[in-house]
Amino acid sequence: MSITREKLVDAYTTMVKIRTFEEHAAQLFAEGKIPGFVHLYVGEEAVAAGVCATLRDSDYITSTHRGHGHLISKGGDVKRMMAELFGKRTGYCKGKGGSMHIADMTLGIMGANGIVGGGPPLAAGAGFACKYLGRDDVAVCFFGDGAANQGTTHEAMNLASCWKLPVVFVNENNRYGISCSVDRATCVTDIADKAAAFDMPAVSVDGNDLMAVYEAASEAVERARRGAGPTLIECKTYRQRGHFEGDPAGYRSPEEVAEWKAKDPIPRLEKKLLEMGVLAEDRIREIRAGVLAEVEEAVRFAEESPLPDPSEVTEDVYA
Amino acid sequence: MALVGIIANPASGKDIRRLVAFGSVFDNQEKVRIVRRVLLGLAAMGMERVCYMPDTYHIVERALRRIQVPLEVFPADFRARGEPSDSTEAARVMEALGTGCVVTLGGDGTNRVVAKGSCAVPVLPISTGTNNVFPAMIEATVAGLAAALVARGLVPEEEATFRSTQLEVLRDGEPADLALVDAVVCDDVFLGSRAVWDIAKVRQIVLNRAAPGSIGFSSIGGLLHAVAPDAPEGLYLELGPGGRPVTAPVAPGLIETVGVTTLRVLGVGDRVEVRGAPAVVALDGEREVEVTGRERVSIRLSPHGPRVVDVERTMAAAARRGVLAPRRRGGRPCPATPNVPTS
Repeated sequence: MSITREKLVDAYTTMVKIRTFEEHAAQLFAEGKIPGFVHLYVGEEAVAAGVCATLRDSDYITSTHRGHGHLISKGGDVKRMMAELFGKRTGYCKGKGGSMHIADMTLGIMGANGIVGGGPPLAAGAGFACKYLGRDDVAVCFFGDGAANQGTTHEAMNLASCWKLPVVFVNENNRYGISCSVDRATCVTDIADKAAAFDMPAVSVDGNDLMAVYEAASEAVERARRGAGPTLIECKTYRQRGHFEGDPAGYRSPEEVAEWKAKDPIPRLEKKLLEMGVLAEDRIREIRAGVLAEVEEAVRFAEESPLPDPSEVTEDVYA
Repeated sequence: MALVGIIANPASGKDIRRLVAFGSVFDNQEKVRIVRRVLLGLAAMGMERVCYMPDTYHIVERALRRIQVPLEVFPADFRARGEPSDSTEAARVMEALGTGCVVTLGGDGTNRVVAKGSCAVPVLPISTGTNNVFPAMIEATVAGLAAALVARGLVPEEEATFRSTQLEVLRDGEPADLALVDAVVCDDVFLGSRAVWDIAKVRQIVLNRAAPGSIGFSSIGGLLHAVAPDAPEGLYLELGPGGRPVTAPVAPGLIETVGVTTLRVLGVGDRVEVRGAPAVVALDGEREVEVTGRERVSIRLSPHGPRVVDVERTMAAAARRGVLAPRRRGGRPCPATPNVPTS
């Protein structure tokens, strides 16, 4: 599996952008500037960046309640994202959706989703549309270990396999559904094992290793594009923060958290890129500074944007 | 009191070869069922104590939920991290406890990391991986019986086992890693998803086992010159254009024709230099060693591999000794049972 140096640098930049965005969101939430809930993607960046590096704009993704990383990796505009988190009119949903409803159909982002297991049927539908219309685009469904226990996920995987739909199911097994560990809530804790029930190939990879994710996703996406059907990729990873901001996460031991922080995907990739000579220290500083400026600009944009007018409350609603 | 170890790897049989080839996912619930039968075999043969590797899927604990066996079953005393190093640590602990035989569930990769922890305790490898040359596809019940026969000394070790060779990876002459079947040099810079499937990237192959009927890189060598598991020799192959074409099953469902430009039989102690950098050396099918060019990397055939339990040989020795079919005191041996027609 080959990857260009340019693509590697892009993926690294994306991962740094996700981390920076999330760290700002955490701080702003703590300051009371962000209403509602935010679920942060810190620690899982290699999954979204690795998978989306194999996609094009016309491909689709469905996301989850922990969606910022997916949206940024698929090219989402951080200004409009941050404005949405702030509930401002310039946000992706005009400030009415918040973190869990951001979508951008021009980029194939079918939306973050507050419903656990809400994404898989949407991805199967998008995959069906691609096949029906004769397009070689694919749909990628990000879902968590909690969603792996939902009926909707199994129904979507079954139909995707029956109809050989161009769907890649990407399971982010971060070991916890809210506060419940996968060992307590799931009988078969290796999500990849479940694909056998749908005669679907599956692979389990280190979700904190960008290249491991990229290699698996490249093969799965290529397979989907040539009409060979869906694939399940289980990415074993970890969310470094609580389920939502404000969650003290007392259900995890400090040792466990420390162990996973030692496997943080960003320093891991950075070290490799330095060793390979793909990036030098000064270029890394430049990338980090550029990303920081972009996110700070997004925060300014959000802060300065107007709130929706109460008169707009019934606009853009379906029912 | 005799002790048997069980190392069941929850991560085996799930790598990218399910995607790039046609490998089956080996689900952990099947490993639970296999361990269950191993435990029943051990108990039937009079074992009393079993030490197991703690793992994230709790394979052995789950196996015990459905059976009642007169065994003291306890975990090796360390915290599982869900990493390959768990198997290495478990092997180390089991050796320190004086274990008489370790039953492993995994593929070549699993047994490699077990060997990194201990080569002293006889290992009985049951195949639950992908490209399996080192472990065997054997019925777990019989494996349990055989492990107990060895651990309890009912069959002498020299009749039940053989000493495998292994391949040592040397960095600037110092041992850095090992392989039990093959060490393969590929044009790559990342360890990534670990497996090797793009044969066009493979430059050099070093084997200490080669059989025409096996799968993976070992089959390429085996089709040219077979090397038995207990033979003190190995093979060195270079691949490239214009070489002798060899068509071999390099992964499940993946049959490739490669050009072999060099074939050399290796003796114990012979060393092969890794040429060209950057490169990655895959050990037993998994990319493990990055070669940056800043140091000399070589591969040496060593006679000090693990001692391996041969189940067929063990059961044959047990039969010769009448361990499972003792003669009645003062009586004559049972007459052979005639074949009974079934229809």
